[in-house]
Amino acid sequence: MSLKDSKTPALKKLSDKAEVKRQSVLLIIAAIYVIYGIVFYYLPLVGWLMAFQTYKIKDGLFGSEFVGLKWFKFLFSDATFVRVVRNTLAMGVLNLVSQTVTAIAFAILLSEVRNVLGKKLVQTISYLPHFLSWIVVTSIVHEAFSTSGIINEVLVNLHILSKPISFFSHTQYFWPIVAISNVWKETGWNAIIYLATISSIDPALYEAAAMDGAGRWQKIKHITLPGLRSTIIILLIMNIGNVINAGFEVQYLLGNGLLQSVSQTIDIYVLNYGVGKMNYSIGTAAGLFKTFVSMTLIFLFNFIAKKTGDERLF
Amino acid sequence: MKSKKIFALTMACMMGIGAFAGCAKKKDAITNFTMFACMPGKEINDGNKIQEEIAKLTGVRVKESWLTGQTAAEAVGSIVAGGDLPDFIDGGDGSDALYEAGCLVAWDDYLAKPEYSNLKELYTDKEWELFRKADGKIYWANVFNNTYGESKATGHNDEAFWIQVRVLEWANYPKIETLDEYFDLLERYYAENKENADGTKIIPYTCLCEDWRYFCIENAPQFLDGYPNDGSVIVNLTDYDKPTIVDYNTTPTAKKYFAKLNEVYNKGLMDPDFAIQTYDEYMAKLSSGAILGMCDQWWDFAFTVNPNLQASGYDLLGYNYVPLGLTIEKGMTNHWHTYGDTLNSASGCAVTTSCKDPDKAFTFLNRILEQDILNLRFWGIEGEDYLVDENGLFYRTQEMRDNWADSAFTASHVCSYSYMPQWGGTSRDGKNAMSPGEQTSEFFATLADPLVKCFEAYGYTTYGDFLGSPVEEMGFWFPMYSYSNNMSTNTDGGVAWTKMGECKHQWLPTVVMAADFDSAWNDYMDAYKACKPEDFLAEMQTELDRRVELGKSA
Repeated sequence: MSLKDSKTPALKKLSDKAEVKRQSVLLIIAAIYVIYGIVFYYLPLVGWLMAFQTYKIKDGLFGSEFVGLKWFKFLFSDATFVRVVRNTLAMGVLNLVSQTVTAIAFAILLSEVRNVLGKKLVQTISYLPHFLSWIVVTSIVHEAFSTSGIINEVLVNLHILSKPISFFSHTQYFWPIVAISNVWKETGWNAIIYLATISSIDPALYEAAAMDGAGRWQKIKHITLPGLRSTIIILLIMNIGNVINAGFEVQYLLGNGLLQSVSQTIDIYVLNYGVGKMNYSIGTAAGLFKTFVSMTLIFLFNFIAKKTGDERLF
Repeated sequence: MKSKKIFALTMACMMGIGAFAGCAKKKDAITNFTMFACMPGKEINDGNKIQEEIAKLTGVRVKESWLTGQTAAEAVGSIVAGGDLPDFIDGGDGSDALYEAGCLVAWDDYLAKPEYSNLKELYTDKEWELFRKADGKIYWANVFNNTYGESKATGHNDEAFWIQVRVLEWANYPKIETLDEYFDLLERYYAENKENADGTKIIPYTCLCEDWRYFCIENAPQFLDGYPNDGSVIVNLTDYDKPTIVDYNTTPTAKKYFAKLNEVYNKGLMDPDFAIQTYDEYMAKLSSGAILGMCDQWWDFAFTVNPNLQASGYDLLGYNYVPLGLTIEKGMTNHWHTYGDTLNSASGCAVTTSCKDPDKAFTFLNRILEQDILNLRFWGIEGEDYLVDENGLFYRTQEMRDNWADSAFTASHVCSYSYMPQWGGTSRDGKNAMSPGEQTSEFFATLADPLVKCFEAYGYTTYGDFLGSPVEEMGFWFPMYSYSNNMSTNTDGGVAWTKMGECKHQWLPTVVMAADFDSAWNDYMDAYKACKPEDFLAEMQTELDRRVELGKSA
């Protein structure tokens, strides 16, 4: 970004002062972003103090009683919180795996389509759901999976079920439903980046393979997938930190009292205790824990990527 | 040179914003205040006729907004965190959070002044004591359930097992006293009637379990044992001077009640989606006339369902509900209906610290308790919304009644400031009721025919008569939920209360749907005990003792 590092001979001759003057506009623009980052990303971190206090709004951040690790102890002795962490990780992994696999599969399938119009049409339609808000998607999902919804109707008419199942009354269906909803909403969108990568693979490779007698399947296996490898790794590293962001709206909107043992995520827990019960301290402590797990996951996966000699973030 | 341009651009932007901010200020002799109530409600139109009438008389106009799609606690949480306070607020279950955050203006100075005597008059000194917070000050006044003069109550604004009048009519108006008789009647009716005239499939019983409204399934055991609505606990009065707290979740009656629901569910009489329905879905089912009976609070369904039934003409088919005062065994006294006023000190109308002119706000609250404005709020404009006969009694023509039942009309015409201080009971003229719903003649004139027939068959004149609860004043501690509603997770009791809620949310529907009730019940009891309910009960006992002492001393 910064022009200072560029090694053009003209710049080398300039003194620091003159250089600052020359780049003043760029520096001002950059400063805006630095200030933005400090104000909105770093200053709020002071709020982490709340996790170590019994925070009361009246007393303020610097006047509240300091209690050390009390709230962390509370969290880890709280069966609900442990369950909430389990749910978050389970749904996060499920989402990550199902979304990555379906997006890659979809991108490959689409890239094999030769009819340009059909390809564009399918691609456009498939990524439209990405722009729907979760409140709309969950209403559709709720309706589709209800006892009188389309899923039950199809299953009953195909004689797979003898009578409709109330999907939202049984804990075992919840995670798959969340994964399916995510796949439905995001597959088309996630496939775009893979499609772009596939189109950048040198066509000569395919031609050479064809001459060697490779079929479609072999071309996919030996050219397309290896060509996608670095993109997949980079996206996985970036998304692995998001595993802990398994979602908030989906679970919040699809869940109900009966399902709370499998549906609540850390974010919902933070909302319940932090905002709902006005216990900012518990909310902050839970959020802090989430950040910690997220960072650990990223470093861990980056380390593994480095060891196996693949692309990595840092 | 370039930096100058940027500077100029920035200045231009800022001036633009300044100009817009200037435009936002409207010139008006009338002060505009805002109010937020932690309840779902309907916003009225700008320029609402009665609102403007009141503004002319008081010099104040209040723009009310309501809860949408959040719980009260979440709404208050985000208001406090964002610092975006309205001038008036009713925080509902989040009221204590507002106090904790120091967002409210104390009432004490105003209550002491004679100019605010109407506010002071709302409660007796002893009752005001109950509103006092830990810092010794009063921050809000509950606006409901407060009777001026003689009670004119015609409704049952509380909880009950409700039943459609057509079912009672079909069975020739029997006397239903126990839970078993109730479900037996629903079963017999359902055996012969599976569909409504319009083809809607009948569901004999449903039970809302969503979020805080899960009281519909949760708290019936206290009533079935004959106790009044303390909400979170039973208060045992065997020793009247030293009442004790009893947990209604673990009583034999609780087990019998849930076993009954389980039996009903497994017989296919219960809505298969009861545990997962949302409030909106529940309202839609009730409004379609499909549900024969349910357990609920009147205010939780009637204000939506009754107008819907009326609009679709279903009220003429007897789809309206009447309450039944059920107990677990025959011949027990019940307290489903409480006579006299229930003082819920946990929440109420408050003035916030962001109000620029609190004196004016309190003057307004005081002024709207004058009879002329009370009439405007609840009866409307004389000659337009009601007429006065030669004896001074108010009445309405059918057209006026229809107007007030029409949501488009009420949005542009009616302004009751329903979450601000008000009175029920008798008007200051000593003749009329404060509101038309409690005026006997108006009450009967607005009932649909099947309801009137039902009232007549039993010889009842009010909804309260259906319950058959004894007419007695409640103890000074009543209701205990005014304490538990505001518990925080900073105490062991509060943590236990939160966990018990989570546990019951999950387990109550589970035991109802279980194939093997007894083993499910045992699992539930294990999970329940793990929440340490004893911590909660101990805190409730301390509060009860405090209130009993307060009642004796004052």
